[in-house]
Parts: sequence; C-alpha cells; structure tokens
Amino acid sequence: MNYDKLYKPGLLALALLMFVVVGLSQRQLNGVRSELKLTRLEPLENAPPALAFVTVALGGFRGLIANVLWMRASDLQQDEKFFEMVQLADWITKLQPHFVTVWVHQAWNMAYNISVKFPESKDRWLWVSRGIELLRDEGMRYNPEEPLLYRELAWFYQHKMGANLDQSHVYYKQMLQREMAKVIGPTRDGWRALLNPQTDEARERAKILHDKLKLDLPRMKQVDETFGPLEWRLPEAHAIYWASFGLEKCIGNRARTNDIITLRRVIYQSMQLAFQRGRLVENKLDKYFEFGPNLEIIPKANFAYEQMMREDATNREHISNGHRNFVLQVIVALYTHNREADAKKWLEYLVVKYPDFVRQKYPNAVKNGLNLDEFVLPGVAEMLDGGRDKTQSLLEGYLKTAFYKLAIDEDDESIALERMARKIWDRYQLKTVAAEAGRVDLPPYQELKRNVLERILDEKSGGSPLLKAQLRTKLGLPAPTNAPPETVKIPLAPRTTNAPPAATNPPPNAPKK
Amino acid sequence: MNRILAIAALTWKAAFRYRLIWVLTGLLLVTVVGLPLIIKDDGTARGLTQILLTYTLSFVTTILSFATLWLACATLARDVEDCQMQMVTVKPIARWEVWAGKWLGIMSLNATLLAGAGVAIFALVQWRAAKLPAEQQQILRAEVLTARVGAREPAPNLDVEVENQIKARLAKNPLPAETNLAEVRKQMRDQIKSMNEVIRPGFLRRWSIDLGQAGAVAKGKPLFMRVKFMSSQYSTKPLTYPTFWEIGPPEAPNRLRFVKPLTTATFHEIGLHPSLIDAKGKLTIDCVNPAENRDALVFSLEEGMEVLYAESGFALNFFRALLIILLWLGFFAALGLAAASFMTFPVAAFFSLSMLVIGLGSTMISTVVSEGSYLGGAAGGFAPSVIDKLMLGVFKVLLFLTKLVLDFSPIDALSTGRSITWVMLGQATAQILLVVTGVLAAFGIVVFNRRELATTLARN
Repeated sequence: MNYDKLYKPGLLALALLMFVVVGLSQRQLNGVRSELKLTRLEPLENAPPALAFVTVALGGFRGLIANVLWMRASDLQQDEKFFEMVQLADWITKLQPHFVTVWVHQAWNMAYNISVKFPESKDRWLWVSRGIELLRDEGMRYNPEEPLLYRELAWFYQHKMGANLDQSHVYYKQMLQREMAKVIGPTRDGWRALLNPQTDEARERAKILHDKLKLDLPRMKQVDETFGPLEWRLPEAHAIYWASFGLEKCIGNRARTNDIITLRRVIYQSMQLAFQRGRLVENKLDKYFEFGPNLEIIPKANFAYEQMMREDATNREHISNGHRNFVLQVIVALYTHNREADAKKWLEYLVVKYPDFVRQKYPNAVKNGLNLDEFVLPGVAEMLDGGRDKTQSLLEGYLKTAFYKLAIDEDDESIALERMARKIWDRYQLKTVAAEAGRVDLPPYQELKRNVLERILDEKSGGSPLLKAQLRTKLGLPAPTNAPPETVKIPLAPRTTNAPPAATNPPPNAPKK
Repeated sequence: MNRILAIAALTWKAAFRYRLIWVLTGLLLVTVVGLPLIIKDDGTARGLTQILLTYTLSFVTTILSFATLWLACATLARDVEDCQMQMVTVKPIARWEVWAGKWLGIMSLNATLLAGAGVAIFALVQWRAAKLPAEQQQILRAEVLTARVGAREPAPNLDVEVENQIKARLAKNPLPAETNLAEVRKQMRDQIKSMNEVIRPGFLRRWSIDLGQAGAVAKGKPLFMRVKFMSSQYSTKPLTYPTFWEIGPPEAPNRLRFVKPLTTATFHEIGLHPSLIDAKGKLTIDCVNPAENRDALVFSLEEGMEVLYAESGFALNFFRALLIILLWLGFFAALGLAAASFMTFPVAAFFSLSMLVIGLGSTMISTVVSEGSYLGGAAGGFAPSVIDKLMLGVFKVLLFLTKLVLDFSPIDALSTGRSITWVMLGQATAQILLVVTGVLAAFGIVVFNRRELATTLARN
C-alpha cells in the first residue's frame, strides 16, 4: 500500500476533524472565559460566520483597520460623498461590535448629520431609517444588554421623528404611520389581532412586525397596558417601547443608575407628547391624518411625571415645572374636548399640587370656589379688549373649527368649541351691554353661526367638497341644488348629545370634597 | 524587438508557473461577482451604482497593484537568485532588453486581467442599470453613467482689482506714510471677494457662464447646476433657505423660474434643460436671496456655482479610467523591477510594498506638509525642531512624488459621473509613464546593467 498517497488527504482530514472539535468545544470555552474573567469583553454572539471569522482572524489589527475606515468615512463626509457611508458604518461597527459608542455615533451621524444635508424629505428619511436600522437591527443584535443603544433608539423616535425640530418631521411621521399601518392595520389597536393570528395573512404581518420592525407583540401588549393605550403608528409609542426595553436591561445593576434616569426621562417626555398629539385623527374624506390629543393616557403620563420627580432629585425642580405645564395642558385639552367634569377634577389636583402657582397666576379661578371657565378662558378677556371686529373674527375661527371637527367625526371637540364660542359671545355682550345698540355689539349668535356655516358650504368658497357633503349630512341639511339660494334653517347644534363621555380621566390623587 | 517580446513571453510563462494567473483570475472573479452581493448601499439606485463602481474598481486596482509589485520583484530577483538570469544574459540580448521585456510582460498581463475585470464590471453595471425602472435609469444615466465636465464663471483677478482700487483711492486721498499697505491690500481683497460671493437678503446675484464651444455640445444633453452656499447665520447643522432662481437668457420670455429650498454647506445638483443656453453658448443664472430670509447667502468663488454638462459617454470614460489604472500598474511594475535590479527578492518586495503603503498614506503626508510640522502638528509649525525641518523636507519630496503619480482619481471621477478628459489622460501619461516610470526604468536599467551577476552566483 502506498502510504504517501494517503499522507496529504490524511492531514486534511485531521485538520477538518480538529475544526469540528474546536467548533464543539467553543461554547464551553467561551463560558469558561467569561466565568474566569479571562476577557474584558464577552465573546461575540449571534454574529454571522463572516463577522465571527473577521473578528478572530484580524485580532488586534481590527482597531487599526477600523481607524482607517473611520478616517475614510470622515473624508468622504467632508466631501459630501455619502454613498459609501452605510457600508463604512457597517464595517466600522462590525470590526468593533462591542464598542457601544461606535454604534451610537455611526447611527447618530446618519440620522442627524447626513440626513439634514438633504433638502428633500424623502432623502432625509432614507438616512434617518438607516440610523434606526443600524441600531435596532445590528447594534442590539450584538449588544442586547446595552441600555445606551435602547436609549439612543428611543431618542431617535422621540426627538428626530417625534419633535418638530427637523423640517421634515411630518414626513417622518407619515412614513412611520404608513409602515406601521401596513402591518397593524388602520386602527390604533390593530396589533392586538396579531397576538394570536388566525389567518396566514395575519401571521405574515406578525412576522414582519417581529422580523423587520423588531417589535415583540407580548412586549407591545405589556407596554401598552403599562403606559397606554398608545398609538403605535406614531413615534412616541416606539420611543416608550424601546426606552422601557432599555429600562429592563438596567434592573439590578447599580452602575446603570444614570441610564435609568435618562430612559425614564424619555418615557415621561414621550408620554407628554403622546398626550398632546398621540392620537391619529383620520380625515377619511380627504384621506389624510391629523394629530389630536390622546386623553386616555393622561393618568399614566401623570404617574410617569410623579415617578420621575420622586426618583430624580437633581432635576426635580425642572421636572416639576414640566409637570405643572402638563397639568395645565390637560385641563385645557379636557375642557376643549367636552370633558368638563374631568377638567375640573384635574384643576382640583393642580390646586392641591401647586397652590401658590394657581393663586398667583389664576386668582379669579379660585376666588369663589373653583371656576373652570375663569381658568380656561382668562386669555379671552384680553382678546375681548380688541373690540368688536377682533372678537367676531375670533368667534368665527372657533365656529369654523367646530364645524370642521364635526365633519371629521370629532363630535366632542366640536361641541366644546361651540360652547366656548357661545361663552365668549356672552361675555362680550355682557361687557358691551351699556354701549349704544348697533355700535359695538356683535350680531346675534345664531346669525353669526349661520353665516359661518353658509360660507363653509358655499361651493365657490373652495375647500373639500367631500367634507362639505359630510357636514351637510351631519347637520341634516339637503344636498346643494342649482335653485336660487334661500336662507335655510340650520340646526344649531350637531346631532350628538351633551351627555358626559363614557370614559373619564380622574387624576390619581384628586382631593375628595 | 523580438528579443523583448521573447522575454515578455517568458514573464507570462513565469506567471503561469507561479500560478499567479489563476490566483489573480480567481480573486478578480470573486471581486466582480462576490463583492456586489455583500456591499450595503444607501438604498438608492444612484448610491448602489456609485458604490459598485468604487468598490469593484478599487479592489481590482489593489489586487493588481500588490500582484504587480510581487511579480515584478519575483520575476527579476528570483531569476537572478536561481541563476536563470545568468543563463539569459550570456545570450545575444542586452540587459536593458531583459528589463524592458519583463516590464512589457507584466504590463501585458496586467492589461489582459484589467481588461477582463473592466469588461465584467462594465457589463455588471449596465445590467443592473437596465433592470431599474425607466425613471431611475434616466437619473442614473444623467448623473452617474455619464462623463460630465464642469464650467464656472471666470474668477475675478483679485490682485489686479485690488491694485486698481488702491490706486484710485490713493489718487483721491493719500494715505499717511505709516499705513500698513499690506494690511490694506488684504482687507480690500477680502472686501472685493465678498462682494463677489455674498447675496444679501432681497438682492440678486447673476452668473454668466460661458460654455463656449462646449455650449453647442451640451445642447440636447442633460445639464446640471451644482451649487453650494453658506449663510451668515452661524449654525452647527445645515440650515434650509428658500432660494429663487431665474435661468436662461435675461431677455427671453421663457426663462426658467422656480423657488427651491436648499440647505447650507451642501452641494445641490439641479437639472436644467439645455435649451436655456443662449445662441452664443452662454448660460445666465440669477439667484435671488428673498428678503424674508434675513440672512446673507455666501456662494464661494471656488465651489459656489458650477454648471455640469455631458462631455462624452460612460463607456469612453470608463475606458479612460482603466487606462489611468493601467498607468499606475506600469509604475508599480517599474518600481518592483527597479528594486529587484539590485536587491534580493524579500528585500525588494518589502521595499516596494513599503513604497505602496507610503503612497496610500499620502493624506497624512500632505497634512504634515500643510501643517508645517512632523512632530508637533499645526502647533509645532511655530517653532520647528531640527527633526521637524529635516522630516518636513523629506515629506515635501514624498508629497511631490506621490502627487505626480496619484494626482488623478479615475475611480472617484467615474463614481461621481465626472469626465476623465483626454487632456487629463495625456497629463497622466506624461506624469506617471514618461516622468516617474521613465526615471525608475532608467535607474533600474542602469543598475541592472552594472550589476555583477556572477557575485550572486558565487554566493549561491
């Protein structure tokens, strides 16, 4: 037998065998490495083979190569050549996959620095999405226990997309809304149907939610129950989701105290935003969305503030100011959404919590018991000083908005706005009662209202014909004809009741009378 | 010539013998086919094409550069060490012919491999482009798969204008004797420059760009206005301003008028119809900074306004880019051969690869030269030490030499749709091939000619 012929294949087989053995013992070895603290960094997990190979094969040279790539990225960015940035960021982060600030910097660079170089919103969105993807799809994959990554991602949603500091923020919101609507459907709680999907199509959507958007349905449910109900088609819900996820990573780790504070801050700030405009108001007729306040979230947002004030002693005063403003907004929002009873309860809460502030700023509201009108409408008194024309213009504005809200099925808000208009009219008339008739007094309220409605319904006035038709339907008015116009009798109140809303938002510690 | 060709053929054989051809073919194949599968683009068709061109061509150039250096060193030094050369030189062939034959052999090998890789990359790019929607294809062919040149307004001669103004002012009001005229000149220069660059709110700036004969060429082809401006408002991030533009002959009734919000500190390319060029080949561009902006807009003379037009097609541009890469490879072949002419293979390989690394680090060299110090950065420039002075001299020479070779960016030009003109190619040929490669070849041949090959034999 010629052993020479078997020599080389034998060596090859031996090498292969060794590779297999090493592969099998790798997990155990890694366990021992971290157990005995033989390595500062945890062995790389979840890495694709190419990355695992690169990190092992390059050893200490990885940093050197990363530096060269970083310098190239800087040079290219300076020359405004951005087409390589995604690839370079990918390589730089993969060469140092445990270096968390590298992930954060690269993602931030794309979402903040590069995006704003483009005047077009769609180009900006491309870079904001790239930044989000780098953190969410890659950074968290290799560093699932790093709160900083969660905080940063939450911040992108809260600040870059949620706040209005970027001129394209509305476009970002639209894009997120479209992306989420494709998966969770056209309603706020459409995602609940995916918790236990019954059809293949639903299973497919649940898979997209999990694989592409990296949203875990049971966690979504938990977040929604803890902080919501949230509108998952808006960025604040995502900010809260990722920040709460990050908070979980800090549990039991004293070294993460500062992270806990920043993550909580993201949550309470996002909840405030979610309250202010965390509800998508769909104009089904003209096919677009507006934002409205999410009144249901008020107690939980308030709780988040209180928790933050308790735990962050250093910034307690700042948070307290923010909290006070939040409660002020809550009262006005509830009042303008036809929830006067709730608004009053929150006013009571404000008086208990910040008595000096209320007495100083709103003396009339607390002079003889609590007066909600005096609290919500104090600015109106100043406006009334502007005289008849300004007041009439203000009233017409209120009425126009009330009719618009009615047309898009925001009945509560419509009723509240109309009631406010009526109160303003009453106050003005009271103020000018001594003046000679016809000089400074306003037209009769009903006439004012009819004029506004006629102007809205006038076909020559522009505006959406669908919206006009819907308004006619809601008011029980006939369709327009070619007959000469006649003065129609318009019902003076929408066909909804003034009964108190079913859901209430009592403050947590409202004083009992 | 036959003798040179015979040596070239031997070099080919050596390349096959070393299995270099197969290794290189495999590597190039992996680069062209495999790289596009793993690279991440920015999500746009334009970005994908740009990164595809940049990375495939860069990898091909890098692989061929290293292989060229290695082969050049090996083919000569190894021949000497293995006593093959001693056998060849006793034949009726001059040593310079051996040297030139080896260079030609390496270059023909490079040309073949580069052509193969080039054709594959070109086909890949065209194939990918053809699969895009028509609208994307149009953008790609107008902005990337093209060969555009830029035209600017002639820069004002600031020195002459400064002198004229100083003369005029001195004639009116003579300055006191102690006046620092240099400072006056500097201030006046800045003033005149800013007058040419700044558009105050509510004001207009007109650019009249003479495309000359190119104007006729440009007609009927995509035309782009490339602008970049800063604003008088300090900001750490780009700010967006609405800008109002009127383009076309000033008297024409159908001037193009539009409002466009643009961001500061960013290059913007705006497509224009070529019919806006007037009969004399001039393009008139007016930019109004609306009064509502409240901040002045600054269009620098250097890069504020440029008009880009297609000078030729992408295929020709691609071919010219490959030619420049081939010139680089010619330089590397000469470097390797020159080193191997008097060094052993390991030393020659180390030396020439070090030169390549130095070349790749030309950014660092230019930073040292611009900062005026090797040890202390910009701060060290104020009180340079002896080492600083010495190293600075060395770096200046290195910068001059690397610039001669690397002063051309064919890959960058291709990926940004910029034309590599015949003039540029001619300049590259003169600098890289005739000057640098020529000097290296002359040095290598002289050294090789004078080398005592028998001493190597004796050592072995």
